[in-house]
Amino acid sequence: MCSEPGQNLIKESIITDKLERVVVACCTPSLHEETFRKAAETTGLNRYFLEIANIREQCSWVHSDMNEATLKAISITSSLIEKIKLNDSLVPIKVPVTPKALVIGAGIAGIQASLDIANSGYEVTLVEKNPSIGGHMAQLSETFPTLDCSQCILTPKMVEVGQHENIELITYSEVSEVSGYIGNFKVKIRKKAAYVDHNKCTGCGDCTEKCPIKVISEFEEGLGKRKAIYSPFPQAVPNKPVIDKEHCTYFLKDGKCGICQKICTLKAIDFKQEDSFIEDEFGAIVLATGYDTYPKENFSEYGADKYPDVITSLQFERLVSASGPTEGEILRPSDSKIPERVAFISCVGSRDPEHHLPYCSKICCMYNVKHAHLYKHQVPDGEAIVFTIDVRTAGKDYEEFFTRVKDQDNVLYIRGKPSRILKEGDGLVIWTVNTLTGKQLRIKCDMVVLATAVVPTKEAIELAKKLKIQTNENGFFSEIHPKLRPVESMTPGFFIAGCCHSPKDIPDTVSQASGAASKVLEMFSQKELSLDPQIAFVDADVCAGCKLCIPVCPYEARVFDEKKRVVEVKNALCVGCGSCISVCPSGATQQKNLQDLQISSMMEVLLGS
Amino acid sequence: MDPKKNITEEINEEIREVLLEEGAEGIYKCYQCGKCTSICPWFQVGLYDFPVYRFSLETAMGMVASSEDKDELAKEIDKIYRCVGCEACVDQCPHGIDTPKILRAARRLLVDFGSYPEVLKSTVQKIHNVGNPFGEPIEKRADWAKDIDVPEFQEGMEYLYFPGCLPAYDSRNQNVARATAKILQKIGISFGILGIKEHCCGEAIRRIGAEQVFKEVCNANIKEFSNSGVKRVLVSSPHCYTTFKYEYPEFGADFETLHITQFLSKLIDEGKIEPKKEFKKKVVYHDPCTLGRKNNIYEEPRNILKNIPALKFLEVENFNRNLSVCCGAGSGGLWMEWDKDERIANVRLKQLIDTGAEVIAVACPYCLQMFEETLKSMKTDIQVLDVTEILYESI
Repeated sequence: MCSEPGQNLIKESIITDKLERVVVACCTPSLHEETFRKAAETTGLNRYFLEIANIREQCSWVHSDMNEATLKAISITSSLIEKIKLNDSLVPIKVPVTPKALVIGAGIAGIQASLDIANSGYEVTLVEKNPSIGGHMAQLSETFPTLDCSQCILTPKMVEVGQHENIELITYSEVSEVSGYIGNFKVKIRKKAAYVDHNKCTGCGDCTEKCPIKVISEFEEGLGKRKAIYSPFPQAVPNKPVIDKEHCTYFLKDGKCGICQKICTLKAIDFKQEDSFIEDEFGAIVLATGYDTYPKENFSEYGADKYPDVITSLQFERLVSASGPTEGEILRPSDSKIPERVAFISCVGSRDPEHHLPYCSKICCMYNVKHAHLYKHQVPDGEAIVFTIDVRTAGKDYEEFFTRVKDQDNVLYIRGKPSRILKEGDGLVIWTVNTLTGKQLRIKCDMVVLATAVVPTKEAIELAKKLKIQTNENGFFSEIHPKLRPVESMTPGFFIAGCCHSPKDIPDTVSQASGAASKVLEMFSQKELSLDPQIAFVDADVCAGCKLCIPVCPYEARVFDEKKRVVEVKNALCVGCGSCISVCPSGATQQKNLQDLQISSMMEVLLGS
Repeated sequence: MDPKKNITEEINEEIREVLLEEGAEGIYKCYQCGKCTSICPWFQVGLYDFPVYRFSLETAMGMVASSEDKDELAKEIDKIYRCVGCEACVDQCPHGIDTPKILRAARRLLVDFGSYPEVLKSTVQKIHNVGNPFGEPIEKRADWAKDIDVPEFQEGMEYLYFPGCLPAYDSRNQNVARATAKILQKIGISFGILGIKEHCCGEAIRRIGAEQVFKEVCNANIKEFSNSGVKRVLVSSPHCYTTFKYEYPEFGADFETLHITQFLSKLIDEGKIEPKKEFKKKVVYHDPCTLGRKNNIYEEPRNILKNIPALKFLEVENFNRNLSVCCGAGSGGLWMEWDKDERIANVRLKQLIDTGAEVIAVACPYCLQMFEETLKSMKTDIQVLDVTEILYESI
C-alpha cells in the first residue's frame, strides 16, 4: 500500500467513493503514517482523518497462530474505525523559528557544527566549559590511520571559530537554564569569573610566567603542571588566562600575593570579578559535550591506583605529544627513564558488563595500534606488546594500518586480558594467558598503558537531567532512530554530535557534527515550524483548578490561569504524552483525537471480540 | 607401528545437554579473554597448566569429561577436580561466568559414573554414613564442649551455634569452637548446640558433585533444625554459612544464618563486648574466599581485630579482600593429595609470612586446618589463629 500505485488507490477511492475517513491497516505509524496522510491531503481530506491500524509490529510479527492473529488484526482495524469516527479535523500548530543556534561543547564536534552553521550565514553561540576550545582532540599527538598531527589539523579550525563573524564564542561557561520549545528556546549561560578582564587582556602571558603557584595540569592529564593563572595550552583559543580560585594564593590567603595584578600593565586582573549571566534566544541547540575517560583508579587489580607507571592512553598521548610535559619524549613517570618494554592493554572498563561498562569504546583498538607505532618509531629497540581480546579495525584504511604497524614495527599482539599488574623491582609484571597458545605468562615491562573506556562527561549527565534530554542506560544522549534519524535528540529542537552520543573517532565525529548542522540548517530554512496538534487540551467548564496536572507535566506545558481559575495548555510545549490526562480527576484534560470516548469505544471493540 | 588415531573431533551435543541440565550456566557469554586463568590460584603455583578460560567453550562443545580414552579421561578428571571453588575467576570475569559451577556440572556427571577421585568418594561416604568427613563416630561430635558446659539447643533459645565438622572433631579446630562458645557464654547470649544431633552441612559434597547425597544431608538437617525450633544459626565456617544462606532455602529451609564474625563485630560496635587485654602481636588477616569474595564479609573480621588493644594489624598488600588468594581447601581441595610443592597453601602462606606478621588470623576452619598442616613442612615461627581465638584471649 505504501507504494505509489497503493497510494493512488487510496486517493482515487477518497474521490470516487466520497470517503470521509480512511483507516490503513499496515505497519507501524512511525514508518508510513506521514506517507498516507500526505496522500490523503492531496485530495482535500484533512490529514487527521486518516489513521493507521498497526497489524504488523503489534500483530503478525508477534504471533504464530495465523487464524487467531487474523482475528486480532480485524479487531485492531475495527477499533481504529471506531476511533476515527470521532476524530476532529485539526490544523498543525505553527510556531516561528529563531534562526540562531546554540552549540554546547567546543571539541571537534562542536567546532565543526558551529562552522557549518555559521558558514551558511546563520548566527551561532558556542559555549565551552573550559578556558579554551579544542576538547580532547587538542590533547592528542597524531591521529590514526594517517598519522596527521592532531593539533596541526585542529588549530586552523579553532582559529576560524575564534574569528568567525557569525560565531559568538563563550568559554569558561556553562548552560544553566533552558526554557521554551523547538524554534524558540530561551537560554541562560553562566560565565564563570575568570578574574581577568578579557577585554583588556592581550594574552601576553607575563602573569602566568610570574605566578608562583604550580598546580597539576588537567590538560596534561596530571603528568605536567600549570600555574594558578593559566591558559591550558599554547594554542588555546581564546589565548587569555583565567585564575583557578581553588589554588590561587590571593584567594586562599586573603589577598596575599597578587603578583599577577602587580605586573599586568593593562590592569586586566580583577579579583572582584563575579560570575555573570548571558541570556539569549535560540531556534536549535546542538549538544556536543564530548567524553571523559573512565577513571583508572577503578582498576586496583592493575595497581592503577598506586603505580605511577601504569598510565592511561590519554596520558600516553601527552607523553608522545611534542607540546607535552616531556616535549614528546616517551619517558615513564616514575623515574623519567625511557621504557624498554611497554604494554598496552585494551578493553579496560569497556566490554565488562559485570563490573564496569557493557559497550565497546570503539576507538581504543585503533589508538593502541597508533601508540605502538609511535613508541616503536621513537624507541626502535624497545618492545611494544598489545594485550587484546579482539582487534576491531572497522574503518577506512584501518585494517591496513593495523597490519602494516604490526609487521613493520614488530608489534607483539597477545590475545588475553591480564588479571594483575604488580610491581617487581623498578618495573612491572603482567599476569595473563595467551589464549591462542594456552601459555600462562608473566611478562615484565617498564610501563603499562591502559585503554580506559570512553564515558559521557558528568556535565552531560547533569545537562540531560536539567534539559530532560533522553539518554541510554550508559548516559549517552539518545537519538530518535538509530538508523534513520541518528543526529536528532528525542526532545524536539536538540541535535547530537560526537562522543556525547556514543564513543566515536574523529572522522565519525566530524561527519555527525556536519549532519547535526545540516538538520539545524534544514530547520532554519523554514519561516515557521509545524507541530503536531494532537496534544492535550482543557475543558475550562469542567476543570476545577486542582493543579494536579502541573507538576506531572515533564515539559512545563501547563499553567494556571489565576483569573479564570483553570489550567491552560501551552500548545507549543505540549507533546501529547498524556501524563496530565492520567492524573486529571475530573476528565477535564483530554487529548485531541484521543479522547476518553474514543479510547472506550476502541476498548469495546478490542475486548468485545 | 600402531595405526594413528584420527584426533579431530565433532561437537558432542549429548554431553553438552547433560552439563547444561547439571547447572552449567552462562557458557555462551564467554569471550575467551583469559582473565580467569591468571587470577586462578593455580597460576600462582606456576607448575600446573590450568586453562580456566577453556571450560565455558569446551562445555558448549560438549568436550568436558567426554574422553573415551582412559588416560585422557584421567587427565580430565584431574583438571575438573583441581578447582578449589575460590571464585577468584567469577570475581574478575567481565561476564560474571561461574566457572566453578560449570565444573560442578562436570563433577556431577563424573560422580554419576563413579569416575571421581577415590579420596573424595570416601569423604562423601563418610559424610553420608556418620555425618562428618573424617569417619569419626557420631557420639564424639560434642566432645569439644564436654568440659565447658554448653547446653543442648532447646526451643526458645535465641541462637543455635553450629560449629561444623572441623571445629567439632579436629583437635586444633576444636579450640575455635571452645573459644566461640566461651565468648558467647561470657556475654550471656542465649544459645545451644545440637550436640550429637549435628551433622555436616554438606557444602563440600555438593561442590564435589555428589548432588544426591547433598540433598539427603540437606533435607535431614532442615528437618532436624525445624524439629528443634531453630530460627537463628551462628556458624564458624563460611562454607556452612554459604550453603545455609543460599542453598538450603531451595529445599525449604527457613532460618537465619550469621557468620560468627558478623555477630561478634556488631556486639563490639554496640559496646557489649569490650576487648581489654592487650594482644601485643603483629597480626595479618587472611580473607577466606568464601567469607570475602562469596559473601562480601570483609569489614567485620577486620573490625574485631582492630578493636583489640595493642594488636598491630597488617594487610597482605596486593592480595587482600577480593584479591585474596585461596588456602586451597575449598570444593574438596582439603582432601586432595597434591605434591608438596604443588600446593596453593604454600603460595598463600608465603604472601602472609612476607608481611612480617607473627600471627595469621583466619575466619574459616578450612583455612586454619590447611595452614596448620602446610606450616608443618615450612621453617617459620608464624602462628595461625582464628579471629575468635584472638578475641577470646583479649576479653
